[in-house]
Amino acid sequence: MAETLVDIAMMHSDTLVSRAKQGDQSAQGKLMQLWYKRIYNFSYKFFLDHDLAMEVSQKTFISMCRSLAGLQDNARFKSWLYKIAVNHCREEIRKTKGNRALSFDVVWNREAEDSPRWESSGQRHANPESQYQQQELADILQQALLELSEEQREVVIMKEYEGLKFREIAEVLNISENTVKSRMYYGLDGLKKILERNNFNKDTIGYEL
Amino acid sequence: MSYKPDQNDWMAYLYDEMSGAEKDKMEQYLLSNPDARKELEQYRNMRKLLGTVGDKEVIAPPIVVGESRQRFLWNAPYLKATVSIAASLLIIMLVGRATGTQVSFSGNELKLSFGEPKKPAPVESNPVASLSPEQVQQMINTSLTQNNEAMRASLTETQQKLDASIKNNLASNSGKIDKLVHEASTASQTQIQQYVSSMQTQNLQLVKDYFKLTSNEQKDYIEDLLVDFAKYLQQQRTDDLQIVQTRLNSIEQNSNVFQQETEQILSSIINTVGVTETPKETKY
Repeated sequence: MAETLVDIAMMHSDTLVSRAKQGDQSAQGKLMQLWYKRIYNFSYKFFLDHDLAMEVSQKTFISMCRSLAGLQDNARFKSWLYKIAVNHCREEIRKTKGNRALSFDVVWNREAEDSPRWESSGQRHANPESQYQQQELADILQQALLELSEEQREVVIMKEYEGLKFREIAEVLNISENTVKSRMYYGLDGLKKILERNNFNKDTIGYEL
Repeated sequence: MSYKPDQNDWMAYLYDEMSGAEKDKMEQYLLSNPDARKELEQYRNMRKLLGTVGDKEVIAPPIVVGESRQRFLWNAPYLKATVSIAASLLIIMLVGRATGTQVSFSGNELKLSFGEPKKPAPVESNPVASLSPEQVQQMINTSLTQNNEAMRASLTETQQKLDASIKNNLASNSGKIDKLVHEASTASQTQIQQYVSSMQTQNLQLVKDYFKLTSNEQKDYIEDLLVDFAKYLQQQRTDDLQIVQTRLNSIEQNSNVFQQETEQILSSIINTVGVTETPKETKY
């Protein structure tokens, strides 16, 4: 995967973290700008809900600013930040379990109401049909991710989309590396079964699952 | 080769997080095992499929986090809670002290009192607590007889008083009645005569008025009756006259008709007689 400037900046944010730890608000703001999209996308894939993802992201960065001074090793900033995000995600799940109301976004598809997706999308495909199929596939995969257990979902998203190493995920979740790998294995297996159940095969996607 | 990768090895190899020696072993295993290669291919396909889910673009909202002040011991929330509970208890104790609140619990009874509780006057222990039923019965009997005697005495006293008051009342009433009878008997004879004569004159006047009134009314009534009867007779007469007139008219009409018919019959007879006689003359 080609690394963007933002990715490079994220990997070399040690000095930024040091300044932010000392209470430099501008550094804290820059850290947030760098990492907001990652934390938002992690939460979004976890909940498939924009509002919940925004709430978790904001809470994560507020917690980050408040407790950054307690971070021992700057190199572990990434796993530390994801740990905060995971804790907020779990907190939201506890809340929503108590309150089984449907999110308004589920009832009213705001994106469908707005302008077509291709209009706002940055990437424009040459073939609209292929783009539509890709989008449909992505939606189905998102739904399949939601069907996984919370433990497997956390690991799959962190590994597959956030690019954390197994060691880092183990740090985030405070479990052993082997447990992380095991959850990843069963997570992939679970996804495969869910997709097969939804008639995904070589004919529909072009390759064997 | 006895090497067989477990699920952890699979994941480590798939995400390229395997150390050199382990990785070599895994690659050797894959080379010699087409099923494992197929399995690896399937995992890679799954990763490829997962790669179709992209990131959503989002703009970080401005988050203003207040200056994180160093939290001193007295700002700690648990300390604040403890101090507030202690302060509340202190206030309650002070108020209790000021109002002299006393709380006591004895024998399933919770007492909340203000000031020193007043002790109830000690009940004197009954010296004759150990009385036998016969003694109690005797005491009851004696008290009952005493009571009965007292009642009887009061009854006789009341009866005497009642008798005395009845006698007094009778005496005063008979005196009053005698006085009234005496007054009535002393009423003069002349007064009665006057009263009777006035009554007679009044009665006479009433009867006169009554007769006058009734005779006038009868007179009027009879006059009306006579007038009505005369009118009725007149009416009857005119009706009869009209009936007679109409009958006479009808008789006259009938006689006229009869006369005309007779005339016609006579003329027709005459004609027929005239016609029948002339041919006989020509024949002969």
